[in-house]
Amino acid sequence: MNNRFPTLLGLLVLPLALFSSCKKDSDTLDSTGSVNFTVRNVAGAQDLALNTTAATTAAGEKFTVSTFEYYLSNIKFTKADGTTYAAPDTYFLVNQEKPASLSFTVPGVPAGDYTGVSFLVGVDAQKTGLTDPVTFTGDLNQANNMYWTWNSGHIFLKLEGTITSTTPSKPLTCHIGGYTDPNNAIVTAAPAFNGAKLTVQAGHTPQLALKADVTKVFDGPNPVALSTFTGAHMPSAQSVQLARNYAAGMFSVEKITTE
Amino acid sequence: MAARRRTWWVGQRISWLLLATLGIAGSAAVAHLRRPAAALAVPANFPALVYEVAKNQPNEATFELGRQLFYDPRLSSDGTISCGSCHQQSRAFTDGQALALGVAGRRSARNTPALQNLGWHRSFMADGGVRGLELQALAPLTSPQEMNEPLADALAKLNADPEYRRRFAAIYGPGKIDTPQFLKALAQFTSALISADSRYDKYVRHEPGGTLTAPEQRGLALFQQKCSGCHATDLFTDESFRNNGLDRTFPVDSGRAHISQLPADAGRFRVPSLRNVARTAPYMHDGRFATLPEVLAHYAHGVRPSRTLDPLLRQPDGRLGLPMSAQEQQALLAFLNTLTDNSLLTNPRFAPPSVAARHQPTLAGVGR
Repeated sequence: MNNRFPTLLGLLVLPLALFSSCKKDSDTLDSTGSVNFTVRNVAGAQDLALNTTAATTAAGEKFTVSTFEYYLSNIKFTKADGTTYAAPDTYFLVNQEKPASLSFTVPGVPAGDYTGVSFLVGVDAQKTGLTDPVTFTGDLNQANNMYWTWNSGHIFLKLEGTITSTTPSKPLTCHIGGYTDPNNAIVTAAPAFNGAKLTVQAGHTPQLALKADVTKVFDGPNPVALSTFTGAHMPSAQSVQLARNYAAGMFSVEKITTE
Repeated sequence: MAARRRTWWVGQRISWLLLATLGIAGSAAVAHLRRPAAALAVPANFPALVYEVAKNQPNEATFELGRQLFYDPRLSSDGTISCGSCHQQSRAFTDGQALALGVAGRRSARNTPALQNLGWHRSFMADGGVRGLELQALAPLTSPQEMNEPLADALAKLNADPEYRRRFAAIYGPGKIDTPQFLKALAQFTSALISADSRYDKYVRHEPGGTLTAPEQRGLALFQQKCSGCHATDLFTDESFRNNGLDRTFPVDSGRAHISQLPADAGRFRVPSLRNVARTAPYMHDGRFATLPEVLAHYAHGVRPSRTLDPLLRQPDGRLGLPMSAQEQQALLAFLNTLTDNSLLTNPRFAPPSVAARHQPTLAGVGR
């Protein structure tokens, strides 16, 4: 008696489950695709070559770059009608020294035509504020040396090099991070598609080619004079200013290819 | 690209598996791993634990691995400094130096803090910059003034050592030794450094040996009246950050403000526990006071004014500090000495592994 009900229910549910799972599978196949991101780091009109390229700010000051790394996370796609898709668990560390890191893929994006993308330059407060090291896997692993061990939290952007337009030249250090007020340096970049469309469909991996101009760390809403710049090493008001600079102008969309 | 993404996912899966494994480690095959480190029981006179022990279930093998790591100087850049170099058991895991001594004779900017009851900390370091027990180990490991070792290099050393690989694999399963395993193993040792058996503890818990002399009891009463506003509960700290009037300005070390960047935090430092305080000289974040009488003299008549001076150090009549007669200071000293806890300072469990081995009967020695 007691057993019959579940059995009957099972008989009822089984075909339903079969049908719905078939439907779901085909749905899933048809309704999502992957987007491949590539990043080309540049200094103005030149490709960025570590230790060689002479980068020039809008004010004409010059610097070379030995390290250029940053996190892109919380990637979000926007359709023409304003609806968005936030890709879960997207944390990518871009490191100019590691070519493999200049390309990454976001799977599971619902099919459709997208007219915009946005992402955090950095790591969201909820994630970086966690204290269990088990939660920091892959690109977020502290072993990547993008984490402040004395002030728990990820370094969102690391730019090191030499300021060469001063006499003598001097070291350049920008370690930008911080996720609590008043020095919250988590910023969002939303490079414009300029009318182009990113078409996501099953079986295709469209490519979104981004360009990142390192000079925009210092140029932008808060121009920084390198001659008097003493570096950024911790969450601070200046770090927030630099973050607003790179949020505003560092990233642009070079090309969108659908294949 | 896609492969990169996949690796990332796999990594995350593995780490969750790892978590699960931690929870059920060796339920059958390696039963000895389950043997709990008894020291993590919460003493009756303590508040609730802060550290989430459930995410790092204590067991003997991991504790021993953590101890090995704690005392291994190979984890420093030049192989000379271990955690235990500055954190010496007989001194309640401090080093007797004003400022900690790191690789190549480098001096850190601060005094080595005692390691005890870390599972009750909400934050770490004199400025509270580190937010978790496991994350804490990364600070001295990577500081150029201390062990000067990038985390990736430390992990590479561990992975190159067959004995470490064997011991990590026995606990966490096969695979590379990565950040979580390393930090969790270390935390099993550091979280076990519990001080709760001083004569004072026995006194408040009405246990055998828990007697305080008349001067010590006078000192306790004075302590409750003058000191427990900051050195609160039987942890002897309220974990707040306070300016105790050491200086008028803070050009060298702004303390909590270094982390918060708030002017209101200038000169504020974490209130340290006073457990084993008779063994942790010199005192203050920069080790400026060599003895406890100097510390008491500071509070009695050495407090300097500044905008962020703690309100508890301003008396209603405008005087600064905690007015205390010489006699009262003597009584306080007597009381502070009752906080020395040999169960922490001499327990062979917490000694360097090689030393401990000499104290513990080996299998061969059991029969004799």
